Amino acid sequence: MKKLFAVLLAMMMLLALTPLSLAEENVLRYGVDADAAGGFDPHTISAVASMRMIGQMYNTLVDVDENLNVIPELAVSWEQPDDTTYIFHLAKGVKFHSGRTMTAQDVKYSFERILDPATGALGNSSSYAGDIDTVEALDDETVKITLKNINAPFLANLSSSYCSIVDRDVVEKNGGSLLLADGGTGPYTLGEWVPDNSITVKAFPDYFDEAGKATFDAIEFYVLTDASARLAALRTGAVDLIVADTAMLDLVENDDSIQTISYQSRNYTGLFLNVNRAPFDNPLVRQAINLALNREEIIDFAFNGKALVSGFVPASLGHWAVDVTENEYYTQNLEKARQLMAEAGYANGFETEIIVGLLDSIRDTGLVVEQQLGEIGIKVNVQDVERGQYLDAWNGHNFDIMVCQNGAGSDPSRAVAFFFKTGSSANIQDYSNARVDELCELAVATTDTAKREEYYKEAINIILNDCIVAIVASPQEYFLASTALQGFAPSASNANNFSGVTLTR
Amino acid sequence: MRDYIIRRLLTLIPILIGVSIAIFVVMQLIPGDVVSGILGIEETPELRAMWEAKLGLDKPLIQQYFSWIGRAVTGDFGESFRTGAPVFPEIMNRFAISAELAILACIIAWIIALPLGILSSLKRNSFIDRIVRVVALLGVSVPNFASATLLILFFSKAFHYYTPVKYVGLFENFGTNMEIMILPAFILGSVMAGSVMRMTRSSMLEVLRQDYIKAVRAKGSPERVTIFRHAFRNSSIPIVTLIGMQIGALMGGTVVIEQIFSIPGLGQFTLTGISQRDFPVVQGCVLFIAFLYVMVNLLVDILYTFIDPRISYS
Repeated sequence: MKKLFAVLLAMMMLLALTPLSLAEENVLRYGVDADAAGGFDPHTISAVASMRMIGQMYNTLVDVDENLNVIPELAVSWEQPDDTTYIFHLAKGVKFHSGRTMTAQDVKYSFERILDPATGALGNSSSYAGDIDTVEALDDETVKITLKNINAPFLANLSSSYCSIVDRDVVEKNGGSLLLADGGTGPYTLGEWVPDNSITVKAFPDYFDEAGKATFDAIEFYVLTDASARLAALRTGAVDLIVADTAMLDLVENDDSIQTISYQSRNYTGLFLNVNRAPFDNPLVRQAINLALNREEIIDFAFNGKALVSGFVPASLGHWAVDVTENEYYTQNLEKARQLMAEAGYANGFETEIIVGLLDSIRDTGLVVEQQLGEIGIKVNVQDVERGQYLDAWNGHNFDIMVCQNGAGSDPSRAVAFFFKTGSSANIQDYSNARVDELCELAVATTDTAKREEYYKEAINIILNDCIVAIVASPQEYFLASTALQGFAPSASNANNFSGVTLTR
Repeated sequence: MRDYIIRRLLTLIPILIGVSIAIFVVMQLIPGDVVSGILGIEETPELRAMWEAKLGLDKPLIQQYFSWIGRAVTGDFGESFRTGAPVFPEIMNRFAISAELAILACIIAWIIALPLGILSSLKRNSFIDRIVRVVALLGVSVPNFASATLLILFFSKAFHYYTPVKYVGLFENFGTNMEIMILPAFILGSVMAGSVMRMTRSSMLEVLRQDYIKAVRAKGSPERVTIFRHAFRNSSIPIVTLIGMQIGALMGGTVVIEQIFSIPGLGQFTLTGISQRDFPVVQGCVLFIAFLYVMVNLLVDILYTFIDPRISYS
């Protein structure tokens, strides 16, 4: 047996000594946590894992910077003759990956594709391009877009990949689908996809924007779903960059060859209460739940301390954000919580169910909440469900309490209206408040930023005081990289921005 | 024999129909569907209706099933709901990878298990026997995800080594492919080896007690001949049965190992299909795996007649 073990070990060591086919070429190898789901059609793919590649392959008319300012992308400038008309001047010499020059006709086609119900495009809602009435190509480099109604965040919303500009010829050649084709203008073109293993995007030499040109010959995305395998791959130099979770951070603290890169996300995690169901229809109970939470403790346990106490408009939304640390319901007060429970007629508490799933931080939040709500007599059964079941509970609004992580987008039209307006698809708690609805409508119908801020802040405060949700935290997102990687500065606006990034191996 | 094989192949038909109905029903019963996966948080009633129509999910269930099975009998397993790519060629690609892994794992398992199993039966209750039994128990009881993670960590820490991350086919680059496959195959093989070793030991022990072995020994036959020609051959029926079952399971892919080592095998394809509720993918994969099981079992049954000529099918 000893002999056998020795032989096996020797075999393995031999393997270890075989020269690694170390990439001499200039390639970024990126270990990601999930495979592209379904493919790469920017108009119909919602999976974050696919966005990593879509972001390299496609461009939008405009982009949004870290401070939420709209900046040029395919459109170098734009003007707004009136509140519902936008005229975009396109960059010159933009080439599709097919080699064809992009014109205003392609922009027109792209929006028509999004608005055509048969496409089933995700951007066909007023959160994105759904309010477009007509798109006209005034000449080859000028596009006029007219909206059906005023939509203040329209420009910023055009920065979504759901509003990418696509190559009509490629769409038509592939039977109307871009899932497995590349009809983009971006700095990288789609290379090989080996499902469940890797995706390669290759540099596009004719990219229109010098500053945004590909700095790598290729980016190879490796699907390493197992977190410890991903970290081992980085440690051994098999990959240069990985998507990290907070549990990894302590493990690499003393490793000089690895750097930690992070940004404050626009996501937030918290409890959603079904206001149609007793006892959550009682505002006193909802207030008590909010007051029972010790948010710092949840952050320590579920996020390893790497998150900010947050409401549903997180700090990364800049001037739109509301500082919840000043809100009375965001500071734990067990005495008051118990008193409110008694007032509501639940002096002895009640039993309820919390649905968790999808992410470890969601599951862990559920566990801490179970214990914290126990302090005020609420007996919580945590139901950890599989993805399909979780989505069903979300879509069917079928839950008592659900722990979710949502993205607040880049404008309160998303953060507030999408999640809290009566009848909105993401208003899973079935909240309905006439004043909030009115404020959301007012805010979208004016382009005066100061006014909009005033409307939204009022709406946000109503929702906070109604305690419709008990939001806990806005997490930091982490990457780990070899110290050879230079210039990678992800942000909530663009987590996969590789322009100007280099490797000095 | 020929009639027997034909009869066995004919039983495939009800088995596959039964499996296809079971899968169809299960996919309907489990919560969640492919559309909510596609739309995610952007789901609205209009978009849902659009996608259901696009994928044919708005038709009555019976019609959905029959239109699928109608195509399947002609060898057309349909297209993935998610990518639109045809399912069958992808199953074949993935199967080739899983089959390679399974075969390598078997070879490793046999190399470890058969000699050690025989040895420990001959030296029953000796020191070697005890060691072999402990190792076998470890092989059976350490879950492969744990040994996989531990081995990855061990190699990365001790040798600064990680298996190549980019999958390369067997015929593209033999060396690199082997480098990718050897570690996962070793892990799968060691688990298999544990049970094969135990089975070899116990069935050898049983045969060695038989009178005819005494007779063989009494007539002065060399020990080597006694063991391999007379004892091992007669004890190999349960071993072959066990190995057959294990190969069947391995061919269908070993999800956990494939996932940890990013090997694009059949197991991962099936799992992704299930988690995305991609019905044509799941249906195609499961039917194919069911087909494999039946075929491997048939092969094992045929093998019996070679091992033991007294067994015959008529």
